[in-house]
Amino acid sequence: MEASPQKTKNSEVAQNTACACQPTEEEMLRSLDVVIDGFAKTDGALIPILQTAQNLFGYLPKSVLKHISLRLGIPYSEVTGVVTFYSFFSTVPRGKHVVRVCLGTACYVRGGKEVLEAFKKNLKINVGETTPDRMFSLEVGRCFGACGLAPVAMINDDVHQRVKSAKIRDIISQYQHEGEDVKEAKS
Amino acid sequence: MTGSPRKIGSAKELERLKKSILDEKKKNAAKKRILLCAGAGCIASGSLRLKKALEEKIREEKLDVEVVETGCLGPCAQGPVVVVDPDHTFYENLKVEDAADLVNEHLRKGKPVERLMPRDAKTSKPVPKQDQMDFFQKQTKIVLRNCGAIDPLKIGDYIARDGYQALAKILTSMKPEEVIDQVKKSGLRGRGGAGFPTGMKWEFTRQAPGDVKYVICNADEGDPGAFMDRSVLEGDPHSVIEGMAVAAFAVGSSRGFVYVRAEYPLAVSRLTKAIEHAKEAGLLGENILGTGFNFDLEIRMGSGAFVCGEETALMNSIEGKRGEPRPRPPFPSKSGLWGKPSLLNNVETYANIPVILTKGAEWYATFGTVPSKGTKVFALAGAIRNTGLVEVPIGTPLGELIYDIGGGIKGGKKYKAAQIGGPSGGCIPKEFLNVALDYKTLEELGAIMGSGGLIVMDEDSCMVDVARFFLDFVQDESCGKCVPCRVGTKRMLEILERICAGQGEEGDVEKLVRLGLQIKETSLCGLGQTAPNPVLSTIRHFRKEYDQHIRERHCEAGVCPSLVRASCQTACPAGVDVPGFVSLVGEKRYAEALKLHRERNPFAAVCARVCFHTCEDKCRRATLDDSVSIRGIKRFMVDQEVVIQVPEVRHNEQNAARKIAIVGAGPAGLSCAYFLARLGYRPTVLESEPRPGGMLVQTIPAYRLPRETLAREIRMIEQLGVTIETNKRLGKDFTLQELRDKKYDAIFLGIGAPESFGLGIMGEDADGVVMALPFLREYNIRGSVPVGKKVVVVGGGNAAIDAARTALRLGAEAVTVLYRRSQEEMPAYAEEVRESIYEGIKLMPLTHPVEILKGPDGKVSGVRCMTMKLGDYDRSGRRSPTADGADQFTLEADQVIGAIGQTLQAGKLFDLKDAEIKMTQNKFIYADSVTGQTSVPGIFAGGDAASGPWSVVAAIGAGERAAVGIDQFLTGEDHAFWREEKVVDTDFDPDVDPVPYPRESVRSIPVEKRKHNFDEVELSWNENVAQRQAKRCLRCDYGKTVTRRGNK
Repeated sequence: MEASPQKTKNSEVAQNTACACQPTEEEMLRSLDVVIDGFAKTDGALIPILQTAQNLFGYLPKSVLKHISLRLGIPYSEVTGVVTFYSFFSTVPRGKHVVRVCLGTACYVRGGKEVLEAFKKNLKINVGETTPDRMFSLEVGRCFGACGLAPVAMINDDVHQRVKSAKIRDIISQYQHEGEDVKEAKS
Repeated sequence: MTGSPRKIGSAKELERLKKSILDEKKKNAAKKRILLCAGAGCIASGSLRLKKALEEKIREEKLDVEVVETGCLGPCAQGPVVVVDPDHTFYENLKVEDAADLVNEHLRKGKPVERLMPRDAKTSKPVPKQDQMDFFQKQTKIVLRNCGAIDPLKIGDYIARDGYQALAKILTSMKPEEVIDQVKKSGLRGRGGAGFPTGMKWEFTRQAPGDVKYVICNADEGDPGAFMDRSVLEGDPHSVIEGMAVAAFAVGSSRGFVYVRAEYPLAVSRLTKAIEHAKEAGLLGENILGTGFNFDLEIRMGSGAFVCGEETALMNSIEGKRGEPRPRPPFPSKSGLWGKPSLLNNVETYANIPVILTKGAEWYATFGTVPSKGTKVFALAGAIRNTGLVEVPIGTPLGELIYDIGGGIKGGKKYKAAQIGGPSGGCIPKEFLNVALDYKTLEELGAIMGSGGLIVMDEDSCMVDVARFFLDFVQDESCGKCVPCRVGTKRMLEILERICAGQGEEGDVEKLVRLGLQIKETSLCGLGQTAPNPVLSTIRHFRKEYDQHIRERHCEAGVCPSLVRASCQTACPAGVDVPGFVSLVGEKRYAEALKLHRERNPFAAVCARVCFHTCEDKCRRATLDDSVSIRGIKRFMVDQEVVIQVPEVRHNEQNAARKIAIVGAGPAGLSCAYFLARLGYRPTVLESEPRPGGMLVQTIPAYRLPRETLAREIRMIEQLGVTIETNKRLGKDFTLQELRDKKYDAIFLGIGAPESFGLGIMGEDADGVVMALPFLREYNIRGSVPVGKKVVVVGGGNAAIDAARTALRLGAEAVTVLYRRSQEEMPAYAEEVRESIYEGIKLMPLTHPVEILKGPDGKVSGVRCMTMKLGDYDRSGRRSPTADGADQFTLEADQVIGAIGQTLQAGKLFDLKDAEIKMTQNKFIYADSVTGQTSVPGIFAGGDAASGPWSVVAAIGAGERAAVGIDQFLTGEDHAFWREEKVVDTDFDPDVDPVPYPRESVRSIPVEKRKHNFDEVELSWNENVAQRQAKRCLRCDYGKTVTRRGNK
């Protein structure tokens, strides 16, 4: 892997810059520096930096992780160790909208499994995958604390309650057709 | 009253600010305002859209009404909810369209809108006020004191309700040791799960040497099904900030962290703002309230790792490392975050602190039980009506929480278990609904208080699958650091997956227990140490379900995909291919449909009339609108039968030569004979009464089951080579020993439970007291029975209702049925109870006979009764009726019919010289659940004699299992060819939407035409109706192959 880091980096970034609105690698690393500087006084800043970086880029490409490792003086192995430990971090590009189907206990006993199947069928992807148009990624969640309204699915930060497998198509199309999140979830 | 007031320099200033806010509030006390729940639940239900609509409407009407976003009010299932102040009117299930009515009617005209109010569960009347609702009335809100009452983003709202008073009090008038002392005295225990005494933890941290100490709030609420911490953070963030500041003062810390999970973006954003406001107000930061005390607070977000809820893993995560646990000791109080002494408490624990210090430890300790003080917030979820957030004193019985506050089980289903404590907890079955929810009792039952997630499960949950689910969860979330947790849970999961797939083996359960105990003992952290709990607790309380999966390849709940072709078929005790025959009826292929039905159940026409259709209770169509009317379709099918349809019979000379005796020609015996005959046996059935049919002919009245219908299906069985000898009574005309002496190769005992329990009250010996079974038997077999004018029937089962309706038809003027529990709890089929009331029978639930009164002639003259009320939950999971002390009254009567239970008096019947037939605890015959074999090889049993009084179709199923068992006993092989699922070639397109027709119920003849005769009450549909109804089936069986049920 270490033999041709340049190549890997390029191909990753190439993927990511397929769309004109995506920043170049240089721009990315520059904005990353701003992030890292912002956490200069924070103890244990690695995780907050990774979180912010992922929000910025949508995922954590190798180049970003290497850069963070160098800037913080934390061995690359340790950085990837942290990244792979937490399920929220992704080292592969994710869709614009992240669908997380809850399989917590309450959702499970009220049909969360069927909801997940319906998302798989409609998006034509499996858990952990992203649609070819980079619009949707599908993940499984372990309880969003909306158990009273089970089964639920979270799309980005919106909680969709009492989801019926028959209605999945409608939910997806809301996000397909609008650029912004449809349901107001943040206050 | 802005979000962020100017800096508050001293405790006095805080007091002044509070007063000025209160004064302003008082000025506006009469002003209307709307408190709108903006908890994550209600937001998901659309409360923010509702807010917009309300505000627009208010503007249009030019009203001066504020809409306040509050935290969670509790009843999430009814969201969005609002409260209109000052009169506390509660509205639920609001839609955007309702905004106009609410503003116009209530706000403008002052007329509350009834149609939007919650309804009383019993009376269905609207309940206008929040504090009149059952849901709120039975709660004690300490932690949730401000949730739903204040705007969480306005620090002024919090200050007005005594906010930051505790902090001011301790900073100005108390020593740290005194604070710790108060917390200790309050008896508060950690609400995060383990329940460690909070005051002690504080003391340890205070005493630990070191200049730098940290105070940490664990808001990594990862237990699936728990959302109380989230609601507190969203609804009252300042209470947590204040609690932490108090703790910091007590332990000597100046820096704190709140670790919140990333799945809660709203909680993070509200807490962030609250911290900003507190800093601006000088309630966080340097020189707080001018006392020189410094405390700074930061938020750290989790990144989706469940194990980070464990304290040492959480600290690693804050340090920026992998969230793996560290070995303890050293405990965090000695060496925690960055090696410094650290205090870790959970959100709910901190939220308790301010109240304890303002109102005093003694006040707090008045709530709860002796060892567990205070209240606990529970998150109710699952199959419960009022899902949401509730707070009750510790020690509240589980049943009260589920039924009184939670509103009971959704959709009229039965309670099966409550899962408490998430992946570290366990399941509590119905036997323990009466237990007090406190740390100790829950632990004794194999569960834990945990964080307070309480998921209610009904009979549609498979407990093996639930255990598998939790193991899958912990296996997924295990950090992998220690072997027992990483590998052990994996091995346990593999076993459970095998069991759920129908590949379980004898000994699997024991292996699970052994592994589970080892993992508990040897794991590094709490995750592993508690991971086996859900498995161990389900094994403890639901062992039967594990055995069913392993031995019978049967999942009673209809959940495990490899064992369930269609849930209706799984629910049928005889395993009838329901979707198969229903779809054949839908194509007018009645003969084939009947044949398919009789593959598993010979009594198609009988069951079309008397079956209590568990299949319909499990029908998946019910999730769409209503279940398929399977019995109605069956009724139409059997009415189309011209030539009797018999499925495949395999002749076999060897089997024909074997001698098999079946004792009892009831549904179990006849079913056993039928299936044996299909394997080529020629069994002899010995029946004590003059006519075969058992309960079908002796007790079930002809208005439910016409005798010719029954006779026809019995004749069919005889024609397959079965001999029925009537008037042959076991113990009188022959004995078991004689059968053995006559060299019968196998014997099946289907002798039912024909004896009645006595009433056990004074005056029972009066002339005119009879038991339901002999009463019904006498009429049904001999053709006449003496009936009084005023008849009182005691009991709530089917025999009671049959006896009551028979008495009415035979000329009784008044028939009253007394039942000691409530009507909903009557074991009799609801349809039968309903019809009996139509016919004029008076039902008196919650009434218990005390004495039967006798006239001078020794004849019954009346029944002295007592009214009952429902008391505590008993072992059957129902509220046990207890005398309410006062009301006794007399009912006039000249006949009393007792129907309070049936039993089997087997003692004298079993006269085997060399062996004894083992009985169960309930004094019925012990029979193997797979083969029906008793403790004596070659002797089998089934039906009511083995299971206790149950249903016709259960007896038919038991007969089939025994037939297979007998064949296997004699040949050593399983030849049950009817158990192979038939592929039905009916048309079905899975992509077409289900037909929209609603469920049609079975019709019956008018009451006046049936009250005085024994004509059949129910009528069949016409073909059009039957076709449409059959098409409603969703064909759950489509394209499925499953593991064959039974022992192969």
